[in-house]
Amino acid sequence: MSVLADTAGLDVVGYAAAVRRSLVGLSQDQVDDLTDGLEADLADALADERHVAHGRELVEQFGAPEAYAAELRAAAGLPAAGDARARRPLDPVRRSREVGTRVLGRLRAQAWWPPAEAFLVSLRPVWWVFRAWLVLQLATAWVLGDRRMSWLPNAFAEWVVLGGLVVLSVQWGRGVWFQSRSTRWLPVLANVVVVLALLPVLATMSHRSSQVEDVYRAWAAGAFNGGVQTVYQDKPVDGVVVDGIQVSNLFVYDAQGDPLQDVQIYDDRGLPVRTTFDDGYDQFWFPGSTEPWSFVPAADVGGQARWNVYPLRGAPTSQFEYDGGSPALQVGTSAGTPPWPFAKAPALVGRGTVPADPAEGTVSASGDQTAGATPTPSGTTGPTAGPTAAPTP
Amino acid sequence: MDTTQLLKGVLDLAVLAVVADEDGYGYDVVRRLRSAGIEEVGDASVYGTLRRLYSSGALTSYVVPSDEGPHRKYYGINAQGRAMLEAQRKDWQEFAGTMARLLGTETVR
Repeated sequence: MSVLADTAGLDVVGYAAAVRRSLVGLSQDQVDDLTDGLEADLADALADERHVAHGRELVEQFGAPEAYAAELRAAAGLPAAGDARARRPLDPVRRSREVGTRVLGRLRAQAWWPPAEAFLVSLRPVWWVFRAWLVLQLATAWVLGDRRMSWLPNAFAEWVVLGGLVVLSVQWGRGVWFQSRSTRWLPVLANVVVVLALLPVLATMSHRSSQVEDVYRAWAAGAFNGGVQTVYQDKPVDGVVVDGIQVSNLFVYDAQGDPLQDVQIYDDRGLPVRTTFDDGYDQFWFPGSTEPWSFVPAADVGGQARWNVYPLRGAPTSQFEYDGGSPALQVGTSAGTPPWPFAKAPALVGRGTVPADPAEGTVSASGDQTAGATPTPSGTTGPTAGPTAAPTP
Repeated sequence: MDTTQLLKGVLDLAVLAVVADEDGYGYDVVRRLRSAGIEEVGDASVYGTLRRLYSSGALTSYVVPSDEGPHRKYYGINAQGRAMLEAQRKDWQEFAGTMARLLGTETVR
């Protein structure tokens, strides 16, 4: 068969279908009556060598399907479409088809439409494959539940089913299978269902995908580790962080547990250890405080403000005034130490006798480890502060 | 005058004559009409006419199955059709004679 005959064959089917659709207002029986054998007759007309139509386009030869249909029904003595509409209401399928035909007719009148239509028509096989995939998704959702829907088939059996559906879809699209009247309803129904289900299926699967991503992200962030979340930051926090919380002040006690004031703290590189970086502008709350405090720096010999002198002194923020932009205590008030967490810390064992000597390098490594090497003059050996009493037998 | 206008009145007669000559299916009748010289008639008109004549009882129809291609619906003439054909043939000849006299030309046989 020539190439012309093959493409003409498909065109004939489409033309005949268009003619049938244009026969509005008639019962299905009447339409079948009029158009029975239409495809064969059209094909004959195209193929006939003696006939002028040989090699010409269908529409060129026979006119628009609507006109053909009108001529057919007029010659058959049936009333024209206008009369029928007055008598009998159109069923919604016919009416929507009519609208589609009208829109298509108007579009075809535009100059830019034919190439666009040719392009879309050439994409038809993509739709055939896609609708097979949609049927698979619907079947999966129905049989296995919509949690099992995935973008690509998981199991080999699913691939086989998808392949079979693609074959069915393509063969119907090509007009090879499902042509007899008894089986025609099946693919048409499937097509309608698939078109209606297109958006819901895509929406559900996209939603599932984003849900999966959310869960994965939460897991990666440690949400499933029993509440402990590992926070990764690009820059380390400057300041003093204890138990995950940045602290605002440091309270220093000596070996005996007595509080120390005005202790300057430096780190192993000799940099001052700071807890605040606000230059006195910020407010800080302590546990048990009724109002927030702000801190003031200490001044060193060179006139520099020093913030690594602990415990930081300050006053309730209400006692500050902002003169010239910088915070300053009001006249008559002075900076005090914020409340200590406790009045006395537990005393240490084996420490606090030898003053620290920076030149010595390792200060505490030698000697003080073993109890009894250097007796502690203060006499307290443990947390209890009472005098030691020798037990008398 | 456009012959399609003339044709509308006598298409029934032409189709009956063709089918009376020999049974035929849709396109077969079209082909024979054209080869007889009626080029202007549209396929749809012929098919519709065949349909109408069948519905009115002037033609019979039967399906001939085919191995090579699709089945064909053949039309044949019956007694009522032959009677209709005769009556219309007489009408036509009278009409053609009248027109010939009116126009002052010879009757075309």
